[in-house]
Amino acid sequence: MTQRTRAIMNLFYLPALLLFAVFVVYPFFEGIRISFTNWNGYLPNYRYVGFANYRRLLTDPYFSSVFWNTILYGFGCTLLQNVLGMGLALFMDTKFRGRGVLRAVVYLPAMIAPLIMGYVMFFVFQFSGGALNDIMLLFGGERVDWLAVPGRTVTIIVIVNTLQYVGVAMVIFLAGLQNIPAMYTEAAHIDGVGSWGMFRYITFPLLMPAITSSVILNLIGGLKLFDIIRALTPPSPSTGAASLSTYLTYQYANVERAGYSAVLGIVTFVFILIVSNLTMWFFDRREAQML
Amino acid sequence: MKTAMKKNWWRYLLTVAILLLYLAPFYILIGVAFKMPSDPSSRWILPNYIYLDNFAKALEGRILQGMQGSLIITLCSVSLIICVGALAAYPLARNKSKLNKAVRGFILGVMMVPPLSILVPIYSVMKVINGISTYYGMVLLLLTFQLPLSIFIYSNFIASIPTALDEAACIDGCGPFRTFISIILPQLAPVTASVAILTGVTCWNDYQFSLYILQKPQIASVTLAVSDFFAQTSSNVFAAAAAALLGLLPIAVLFLLLQKHFIKGMVDSAIK
Amino acid sequence: MKRLLSIGLILALALTALPAITLGDGVTLNVWTNMTGVVNETFAEVCREFTAETGINIDYAAPANDYEALMKTKMATEDLPDVFSTHGWSVIRYSSFLRPLNDQLWFGDISEVIIPLITDDDGNIFVLPVDIDIAGIVYNRDILAEVGVDVDDIVTWTDFAAVCELVKEAGYIPVYLGGKDDWTIGQFFDWVAPSFFVTNEAENDRDALIDGTFDWNKWGALADMFADWNQRGFLNVDAATSDYATCTTELGLGNVAFEFFGNYAIVDANKAGPANLGMMPIPAYFEGDTPTLIAGERLAMGVWKDSKHPEEALQFINFLARPEIMSKLASANGALAGFESVESDTGAVAGDFEKYADVRTFPYFDRIYLPNGMWNDLCATGLGILNGSMSTEAIVDYMRESYLEKMDLL
Repeated sequence: MTQRTRAIMNLFYLPALLLFAVFVVYPFFEGIRISFTNWNGYLPNYRYVGFANYRRLLTDPYFSSVFWNTILYGFGCTLLQNVLGMGLALFMDTKFRGRGVLRAVVYLPAMIAPLIMGYVMFFVFQFSGGALNDIMLLFGGERVDWLAVPGRTVTIIVIVNTLQYVGVAMVIFLAGLQNIPAMYTEAAHIDGVGSWGMFRYITFPLLMPAITSSVILNLIGGLKLFDIIRALTPPSPSTGAASLSTYLTYQYANVERAGYSAVLGIVTFVFILIVSNLTMWFFDRREAQML
Repeated sequence: MKTAMKKNWWRYLLTVAILLLYLAPFYILIGVAFKMPSDPSSRWILPNYIYLDNFAKALEGRILQGMQGSLIITLCSVSLIICVGALAAYPLARNKSKLNKAVRGFILGVMMVPPLSILVPIYSVMKVINGISTYYGMVLLLLTFQLPLSIFIYSNFIASIPTALDEAACIDGCGPFRTFISIILPQLAPVTASVAILTGVTCWNDYQFSLYILQKPQIASVTLAVSDFFAQTSSNVFAAAAAALLGLLPIAVLFLLLQKHFIKGMVDSAIK
Repeated sequence: MKRLLSIGLILALALTALPAITLGDGVTLNVWTNMTGVVNETFAEVCREFTAETGINIDYAAPANDYEALMKTKMATEDLPDVFSTHGWSVIRYSSFLRPLNDQLWFGDISEVIIPLITDDDGNIFVLPVDIDIAGIVYNRDILAEVGVDVDDIVTWTDFAAVCELVKEAGYIPVYLGGKDDWTIGQFFDWVAPSFFVTNEAENDRDALIDGTFDWNKWGALADMFADWNQRGFLNVDAATSDYATCTTELGLGNVAFEFFGNYAIVDANKAGPANLGMMPIPAYFEGDTPTLIAGERLAMGVWKDSKHPEEALQFINFLARPEIMSKLASANGALAGFESVESDTGAVAGDFEKYADVRTFPYFDRIYLPNGMWNDLCATGLGILNGSMSTEAIVDYMRESYLEKMDLL
């Protein structure tokens, strides 16, 4: 290919870059500008307040819980989804009746809007008339206000999100398992390798690329978690279940502090980029080591 | 056969347990959707009468409008995601210069950005381009934030197509655009189905953008229409359940019909 | 086959999109209200009648829960509906966007109760008050009868707490809140605050609240009372996590004695059960003060001053001001009509309206005595008490800081 052809070819990604410039890069810098104002988000008059919004970040009583929740949602969901997804994939990699139905049913929730799933989960976890409390009563227990305790609420949200999206990890691993050439496992079988050894030394390393993709996918989803939290809890961060995404929209829409919301946005933006890139780098290295 | 059943009893037990766990939310939703508002029975009990008023109430809301809106938004977004994405992927897969490596890295970075983190300024941009409460505003945003995934899948796929064909076309005097149209495009059909399904599901289910961009009651997305019924001031959970059921029906039916393609789409995006 | 079915499904959905594309001709007014339920349906019907009579099309929208947020963005973009409801904020928030309506023929008919609430410092009014929101506490008549309490003996919050104790002993829930829908908590504070800081003629903070000198330590008494109720079990166990729908269901099933909602809650509650409900005034905080009612705009419609169709918009407003139309809308709301001369059907609380006609009325607290944007603080601090994350001191500090910030006094 000539230099000229290459140059012309590169024009093909200009439309994409233009979109990113307008809707990602420019807003990022505009966000930095807004972070120095006391804009309330709708009235046209505001003024520049220097670093006041950044100082607020340091004294914000909710910030640390919001930050840790985001990490819990990100890594908690990722861990659970991959472990359970791997279990389900191994389970379904054998032939038995009903596994087609099982695969469809486990994957189905991933197709449904997380917001709607969250609303349905409120029917399950609410105190008065909630489906879970009806089971508690049936077995002679006491009703529990499931969503009242911060730690428990976070756990419930992690579990709901995990169960909704575990199908994604499952189908990725299932496809990975089916790509493993039978000769490897047969050879190992002849050598007398047990089922744990088989998994540890054959299946797991060969699944590494699938694991990498699945982890990154789940991590990005978990760190951005929004809809389910919105559906299950009130907007205020005092519930102890808010994530960075819900907290920054709360500051923008409810508290009417667009400037501070912009600061939280910058923190979220930078934090998620760092975490995702570190994770990718970590897995790239592991994969390279294993090959 | 019988012995196989016996040996596998734990598999069937586990299968049934997982099925029950996963079908329970749908069972509850259906139960509530068909109950009378004056029926205080448990969420686990299905009504023993036929009652459809909740669906009538749901249809009085914006649910059909929401389905229209989401359909228009999804179809437009997905078409653009496919065109712009495939086009951008071509040079990135074929022309591995330092510049293009950087561009690829940047695009992957965009995939990770949570759009809500730049919500306030995105909103201001939307105002400038008059995109608030318009389908094109939604389409542009969904396009932008779904593009990285589409570029990623396409460029992996194009990289696996032998270069011999494009080179031959190049020698025959085809420009890069002609080469792309006549050589590459025809081969993209299977992976395009994956891109369409993956990004289509996301666009259909979007709530974050529609919540802040669709600010006119006449234009709704399906999630917005459903959330109307679960709104803070709404008191009819029965109609809300009916609306939620209607809202998730199209995508669930589509999934059950085209299951293989849906799952293949997911796998294509994850395994190179 | 499956593919055909799927394509069929998509096409069927696409077909439903067709009616949305058809366009009418002639003038079209954009009309928005924050109404829901029956009133919303009645309003839509009134719009159709107007179109039938005048040929002016109306694009009517009622975005319910998002109304306030949507209007904020509409103000930011200076693109308002031609005619819209002001949900209590015709003077403070919307007056700079509205056309004064003092020149309209019906100006002199407006009910005395509502005039001060919709008049600015220069004597301008900006809305047609279709009806008037008079609100007290919704209560269950049968439960109070069972515990042997005459509702009119509840004069102060001390009396109220004593009754709550009796109700609790009788096995009912005294007060029900739905904290997931945190406006239910915000509304409690909004309605109770006047009795602490406004209604007492002998001792009140009306001026201090408005000029920015209010001593926020006084807010502690209110926060304490709420915390005390919570501790003594006067609130439902799940007050922090329940929702409005559950509030009305429990009210309808006859499990709850008091709820801090308007008449709309009675209509909602009776969908779930036949509880015998009424409305009572809000008790006083100070000994010697008397119970009061909250008054405000309910359905109040104004005209955008930059509307492209000012004539038609005024024509619509005047259509709403016709006695038979106003009566129909006010009755749908179960509220008193905005003109003294117009009758309306106030449903289950008609007797209560009559009984309490002479009770003093005060505006919603946050609409007059708090700076714009503090509503969320009422919701958030109340929730903080319920989920145990905020002490009284924390709430006082939080409210003070927010107040000074929103008054721009920091």
